[in-house]
Amino acid sequence: MIHFEHLSYSYPGSPAPVLQDLSLTIDEGEFLLVMGPSGAGKSTFLRCLNGLVPHFYGGRISGGVQVAGRDPLALGPKGMADLVGFVLQDPEAQFVVDRVEDELAFALENQGLDPLLMRKRVEEVLDQLNIAPLRQRSVSTLSGGERQRVAIAAVMSLHPQVLVLDEPTSQLDPQAAEEVLDALVKLNQDLGLTIVLSEHRLERVVQHIDRILYFPGGGQPPLLGEPRAVLSQVDLTPPLITLAKALDWSPLPLTIKEGRRFARQMSLPPRHGVLAVPTPGPISVSVRELGFSYNGHPALQDVSLEVRQGEFVALMGRNGSGKTTLLKHLVGLLRPNEGRVQIIDPETLAPLDTRQASVEELIRIVGYVPQNPNALLFQDTVRQELDFTRRGHGQPPNGDEALLDILGLAEVADHYPRDLSVGERQRVALASILVAEPRVLLLDEPTRGLDYQQKAALTQFLQAEKEKGRTVIMATHDVELVAQCADRVILLGEGQVVVDGPARQVMSESLVFASQINKLFRDGALLTVEDVLS
Amino acid sequence: MATAERAPSNSTAFHFHTGAWVAWLVAGVVPAFGLRNPLYLVLVLGAAWIVYSSLGRSSPLGSSWGSFIKLGLFLFAFTIPFNALSIHIGQIVLFRLPASWPIIGGPITLEAVIAGVVSGLALLTILVVFAAFNAVVDHYQLLRATPDFLLQAGVIVSIAITFVPQMVLNAKEIREAQRIRGHRFRGIRDLLPLIMPLLANSLERAIQLAETMEARGFGSVAVPFSRRQILLFQTALLAALLALLGGLFFIGFLPNRAVWGWALIGLGALTLGAVFWLQGRNVHRTRYRRPRWRGRDGLLTAASALVVIVILIAKRLAPETLYYSPYPPSPLLPPFDPLVGGVLLLLALPALLALWGQTAPSPQGAVSNEEYQP
Repeated sequence: MIHFEHLSYSYPGSPAPVLQDLSLTIDEGEFLLVMGPSGAGKSTFLRCLNGLVPHFYGGRISGGVQVAGRDPLALGPKGMADLVGFVLQDPEAQFVVDRVEDELAFALENQGLDPLLMRKRVEEVLDQLNIAPLRQRSVSTLSGGERQRVAIAAVMSLHPQVLVLDEPTSQLDPQAAEEVLDALVKLNQDLGLTIVLSEHRLERVVQHIDRILYFPGGGQPPLLGEPRAVLSQVDLTPPLITLAKALDWSPLPLTIKEGRRFARQMSLPPRHGVLAVPTPGPISVSVRELGFSYNGHPALQDVSLEVRQGEFVALMGRNGSGKTTLLKHLVGLLRPNEGRVQIIDPETLAPLDTRQASVEELIRIVGYVPQNPNALLFQDTVRQELDFTRRGHGQPPNGDEALLDILGLAEVADHYPRDLSVGERQRVALASILVAEPRVLLLDEPTRGLDYQQKAALTQFLQAEKEKGRTVIMATHDVELVAQCADRVILLGEGQVVVDGPARQVMSESLVFASQINKLFRDGALLTVEDVLS
Repeated sequence: MATAERAPSNSTAFHFHTGAWVAWLVAGVVPAFGLRNPLYLVLVLGAAWIVYSSLGRSSPLGSSWGSFIKLGLFLFAFTIPFNALSIHIGQIVLFRLPASWPIIGGPITLEAVIAGVVSGLALLTILVVFAAFNAVVDHYQLLRATPDFLLQAGVIVSIAITFVPQMVLNAKEIREAQRIRGHRFRGIRDLLPLIMPLLANSLERAIQLAETMEARGFGSVAVPFSRRQILLFQTALLAALLALLGGLFFIGFLPNRAVWGWALIGLGALTLGAVFWLQGRNVHRTRYRRPRWRGRDGLLTAASALVVIVILIAKRLAPETLYYSPYPPSPLLPPFDPLVGGVLLLLALPALLALWGQTAPSPQGAVSNEEYQP
């Protein structure tokens, strides 16, 4: 189906090739997962399949590619459109037309298909992707998962033989990501469609894929093989596989079900809730009977909580449960309709009420890192971004080598922030807030779009911040991150506090918010790989 | 086909063909522009309002109604004092401003206030007619109805419409993000941290969209024209436009040679049509689910044509019943012709037909297959 022969490619103006002498064959009906750290060549590889590389990007290319008998390097993306369906990362940037049904027909109209055939195709993809109820909706009213399924349907309507997806779930929350991945599994199994997918959420697809293509980056040649064979040679993997490799479980379990077989045979010394409860410091944030609504829609109702200095709190809950709204209240971007929010100045212990205090006063104590790092970054270099925050706080510009070092940004300190990878941008955003030394740090979805390596680096950093005694409140869907960092979990539902308790207790009593290791051993004392191995 | 599938409640109410709606729009805009008479304007306004509340309110497209109305009311409220302060004609003087004040100084008259109300009402009526049209016709449906040679331009408009709401959200997000970095917005220079990320984000998004459209084969089938053909088309286009201009010149300045003028206009229009047709022939493109033209579409179009025709005839035969000027020596009360008023009520026909359709088996609000060609 797909053949690469000695393909080498380098982007214009870049001396080092991204792909070097790549030769491989992908069979018809295969489900291939492409993985590897950011910037290792995954996207480039995918774009060779429909000729976007080199036709859209330029650059030097040698060698050959064949997809179903056609040569994308010669024909370009227009010539491959009916053969290769291509779906990108950001579901928002892919739509031309506002109404779902029209969006599905858009490509068909441009191909000049017969109206009767067009109608049949549209009806079919509506069912295939399970989006028939959405047909009349405007794309701007859809959730992230629905949008990505519409984007997939829009390319499926052309009846491609190969579906190529570049990190289609990296901007989605776990539930939406699951919807999209389930749809892909169905397309592969029911229709025998060839799928080439690059994806960070290994645990969701690993049991359905046929082979993995791993790009290690740094000039290393890629690995191609069965999932177990590749995963046993790769360093950064989901907790289940990391643990299995550490304990030499063979064959390597890919799912919790397979892992349970090994876990049951292990005899671990019983541990009775080794909950190291931190000594309670003075109160840092106090929320009392907070109520807030957006245009009459209640977003928060009767929320009361207290956070003490040095605590690491995770806010969890599904999309729209009020996590971001609560964080914005803590930094004064939103003001309560009912109740009150107080931030206690750690030096004077005087409470600042967010209804009276200005944002300028509050940000001396509280730093908020928003979900989308792109909203912050606009300066020419990383260093200037940091200086900009300092100026905003009335501090002199200063070399922040230590901070840049800790965040692994020292090498890119003079780069243009928007040229950096998603993980690096996230860290620049973090640095540009941390540079003001806030005592309370608020994080909104800090791991969105990060690969395992970047996630591990962030986890380490947050653990170090916790050691330093910084108060952290983090809204996240990332169960593994919470398991590794948080002391306390607050679960929100429909704008109300559903559960508030120690992380280990909340997570081990939950079905949805249990970590992989916790599911594996069904033991409240075991949440992370380190818990088991220590 | 027999079992009309019921779309969910949020479906768009396409009760009439886009073409029929365009006719309705014309019939609504002609009196709103042409008749400066508050009684007729109120009738048009009311008809458009009824059409919106019976057909547009349930449609997801109706969400922009509110902003149209707000803009209309703002213009309305703005026109009254503007007119009253700048025009000092009339017999009923309300109060006087010192004559030494430039422009606004002098007597402030009731007549000027009334004239302001009428002008404001005309603006409001035009906006309400457009708002109702916007609530019942999907802009992409309109784009499909445009001839092929305008397609590229139409797609750009369509993209812009999907782009703008995202950009507004993005701008809000950036503003918040910069505020919590301690940035204060005091002057124009402080906008840079807002505008730079907004531009960069939009650019990144535009590149991604371009990539997707490329990958989906946009514009792939059109057979490119040769250089000679392009030159030919451009020459013909220029000649056609010159002929049109020349025709207008003859009619305008040499009334005794008007026949020549009409001949030139005909020739120009013919050439223009031929060029567009030839250019459109090369864009190979089909249309998905073309709406069907049914009896009630014909009815609405005929009614709309009647409105326009009656107004044109009345303008010729009895202009004094159409126009209203509050300034002396006219009477303060506007004139009213029941025939014209009755014809204007025809603008509410879509609502009436929809009401009638409700008793028929296909309920209102559901998109049934019979409305479309397959």
